[in-house]
Amino acid sequence: MGGGTAVEWLAPSSLEEALALRAERGGDTTVVAGGSFLAILMNQGFVAPTSLLSLGKVQELRGIDVVDGELRLGAMVSHRAVERDPVIRRDWPVLSRAFGLVASPRVRNQATVGGVLADADYASDPPAVLCAVNARAVLRSPRGERQVAIDELILGFYETCIAEDELLTEVRVPAALGPAVYRKFRSRSSEDRPCVAVAAARSAGRLRVVVGACAEVPQHYPDVCAEGADGPIDDAVAREIGTAYAKRMAPLSDSRGSAEYRRRVVAVEVRRAVEMVGADGAGNGAGREGAGGEE
Amino acid sequence: MGIDPRVAGAQRYSVDLERPGMLHAAFVRSPHPHARVLAVDASGVPSDCVTLLPDDVQDLHLYGCQVRDEPVLTPLARHAGDIVAAVAAPTAEAAKAAARLLDVRYEELPAVFDPVQAVSPGTPLIHPDGALSAGEAVSIGVRPLAGTNVCHRFRLVHGDLTAGFGEADVVVQQAFRTPGAAHAPMEPHAAVAEWEDGRLTIWTGTQTPFNLRGDLAVAFGLEEERVRIIAIPMGGSFGAKTFVRHEAPLAALARKAGRPVKVVLDRTEEFVTLNRHPSVIRVRLGAKRDGTLVAKELDCWVDTGAYADCGPGVATKLGYAGVGPYRIPHVRVDALAIYTNLPPNGAFRGYGAMQSIWASERTMDVLAERLEMSPLELRRKNLLRDGDVFATGEVMHDVQFERCLQAAADAVDYERDPRGKGLCVLLKGMQTPSRAAISVERAGVGYVIRSAACEMGQGVRRSLQLMGAQMLGCEPGQIDVPEPDTDTSPFDTRTTSSRSTHMMGRALEVAVRDLRASGGERGYGEVHNEGGLDPDTGQGVASTHWHQGAAAAHVTVDEETGKLTIEHLHGVAYAGRVVNREGAELQNEGSMIMGLGTALFEAIEFADGQVTNANLSDYNLPAIGDLPKRFTHELIEREGAEVHGLGETVLPPVPAAIGNALFSLGLELHELPMSAERVLAAVDARDARAAAADSAPEARVPVAVDGQGLSG
Repeated sequence: MGGGTAVEWLAPSSLEEALALRAERGGDTTVVAGGSFLAILMNQGFVAPTSLLSLGKVQELRGIDVVDGELRLGAMVSHRAVERDPVIRRDWPVLSRAFGLVASPRVRNQATVGGVLADADYASDPPAVLCAVNARAVLRSPRGERQVAIDELILGFYETCIAEDELLTEVRVPAALGPAVYRKFRSRSSEDRPCVAVAAARSAGRLRVVVGACAEVPQHYPDVCAEGADGPIDDAVAREIGTAYAKRMAPLSDSRGSAEYRRRVVAVEVRRAVEMVGADGAGNGAGREGAGGEE
Repeated sequence: MGIDPRVAGAQRYSVDLERPGMLHAAFVRSPHPHARVLAVDASGVPSDCVTLLPDDVQDLHLYGCQVRDEPVLTPLARHAGDIVAAVAAPTAEAAKAAARLLDVRYEELPAVFDPVQAVSPGTPLIHPDGALSAGEAVSIGVRPLAGTNVCHRFRLVHGDLTAGFGEADVVVQQAFRTPGAAHAPMEPHAAVAEWEDGRLTIWTGTQTPFNLRGDLAVAFGLEEERVRIIAIPMGGSFGAKTFVRHEAPLAALARKAGRPVKVVLDRTEEFVTLNRHPSVIRVRLGAKRDGTLVAKELDCWVDTGAYADCGPGVATKLGYAGVGPYRIPHVRVDALAIYTNLPPNGAFRGYGAMQSIWASERTMDVLAERLEMSPLELRRKNLLRDGDVFATGEVMHDVQFERCLQAAADAVDYERDPRGKGLCVLLKGMQTPSRAAISVERAGVGYVIRSAACEMGQGVRRSLQLMGAQMLGCEPGQIDVPEPDTDTSPFDTRTTSSRSTHMMGRALEVAVRDLRASGGERGYGEVHNEGGLDPDTGQGVASTHWHQGAAAAHVTVDEETGKLTIEHLHGVAYAGRVVNREGAELQNEGSMIMGLGTALFEAIEFADGQVTNANLSDYNLPAIGDLPKRFTHELIEREGAEVHGLGETVLPPVPAAIGNALFSLGLELHELPMSAERVLAAVDARDARAAAADSAPEARVPVAVDGQGLSG
């Protein structure tokens, strides 16, 4: 892979050790979680790190816990674990569904919750859904700990607010009080990344609609969502929100679809997602069953 | 009763080869699609590496299976990825690193990436010398057009086209496009080359050991007997591992190194090694009011990329397959194999048939609509039957098109409700002329069968064991089938065009008779199929044995997004007589799945001649979740029939069956793949037509498009 020169492999076995190495080495070493994304970049020759800091042996980062109703996912929890964990399936079914729609089981066994956020790849599934359910990422360094929302974490293409001495250690998801859906629209293979991803969540009278895979960062327009804040969301409201998202967005073009095509699909998929969470009345908790829609 | 060695991980492939003292190679590839190599500076390469530079190949010759146009190292890069130098080092990683230290200076030249553009006046010539020689010209009859980028023109003339269209009550015309595609076998190209006393041995995964031997002998100026090819079983090929690929520069590097050298291409290199021919095909089809076909004209632009490879053969087969399995009194086909500055294109499961069947069978449904006739009925009315004469002049025997078509239609209940459903029926030829030889020797309680039929996962070894066991009266496991070796295996044309079970089965019958007649120790059998087409008239023998098949698709469409759901896909292959049922069924399934990828989302994307999706994340292959809700197929047999090849038969009809299913919903797709975005554009176009028709009913135009040109 690396092409002749040996690559340094740092493999701390505790979080403390990992944080110390990260603080000491900073940008000189590339953090590896599951490696599913980094390996593609390295095979393609896009990156050629000389040093890798693997979190594979850090057991503290593999926990799935519920604390005061809040879900805490360690950064090294695999997509497959989110997909299959009985508590997540019961209480945050939209997460199980969304993580379960990523690529193939081989990839899901490898890819991690922390890795997919730190990569900040516009075409990944989890960022939009985590943003819609109001998740926060925990960033730690010897300086301390801070929590950032997903839309504060992801700044651009493959760019995050994680400082050179910080590690993303955990993702925290508040209790799901209402219905949530994740609609993954694939224009090609069932194992492809989304062409358009729409996550919608309704909780305590608030509607959050986040569109992923269409722009540098997940797109969330709170003012448009405010339209659907109270009472039942009828078809007309859902359509309006879909149209407003499509209008405001500046979608990108890639091999999954042109910008113009994406704009069309955004209007449709946002409408459908809002209809799904809206069908559930005011979204006061009755609708967990409504979670997990896909195309 | 062991586990299949491929499942147990015990099977050795060419990527696993080791030779004592072996070095590892990396190729230096041009980043430019068209550029002259001005200088190569190897001074930065470590001293424990061996470099192969342009000066090292001065004594070598151009090679090529049908046109000798390919140099071992090129002084003129004709595609991004063309090999201009090579490095051998103690490890593969060191070789890759050293290759990056070779400094190559280029002079960039104007390039062309579209086959239609490449034949327009003033286009840069990719092989200005028009390098051509006999090669296989004897059999294929290569017809280059001097001073152009056309390396072969195939024409078929049957009847009188002008008179034919004069008789037609209805004429439809439409142009269709298909993109390049990757074979994407699990195992990449890999080989080891070794010289000993001026004799070259190559262990490689190849479908064409004898062609490879012959071509390398040409390149190195050797007697054929001084080249030995040992054909290692392949981890998939689908046409990718045919003729000379990585083997030529590897052999030259091993010659310079004086040691064995191994190369394993990476996935990115696979995308610039050999792909499927992109094509533009214009069909004009005329019929009487009652649906009787009277005239058909096909113009085909077949993009063979930087080197001809077997492009002339592909253009020929594409050309006559596009006539379709129909009685048409007046036919003209003009198919051009055209150089462009894209990576070379070559054999790909179906060998051009998919491209022209897509165009031709889609046009049948356009015509049916114009005639207000059922597409099934239109086909039935015109299908070739026993004793009919095909456009090549061949009299057809053992004709099963109607059975295939009817079986496909019945599977989707087409006659009850054709909405959302589409059909396709096809005729496809087998490599003609060709020769197959085989030997059988008694060995202890069993036998050894030697043949150059190459195993690539298609199960040819198993077929030989099963056929041999039946003929020799023993158990399949008592028959050893060693891997092909040009020193010890009898000659075979090649393992392509679904011919091995058919040809080798016949040769084996002869060999077993010979064994019995000559004392039971050793027998030899050889069969020839004679023929070939005149490249200027398309008359002669296209195929001594026809592959016949059909497909039916039932689709539904999310008309807001263009997303297609295949409710049911059914494939039908005429098998004659099935040798290995499980193997034959898997061939059907594999062909249909590859056809689905082609139909729905596979396309190599280029920007200025550079592949932009040269990995299996950006280039999608069908996954298990992409299978249709119902996925069925059948093998049609006939009592007393001979064995028919079926390794490719149900790939070519899949895109057209799906395209016709969309057409039944008013959605006109002319270009592959039928992506959701293209389907949505077809929904818009249909709705716009309907709106226009509503506002001006007297000016209603038929859905069929007359004369859509190529410029659009």
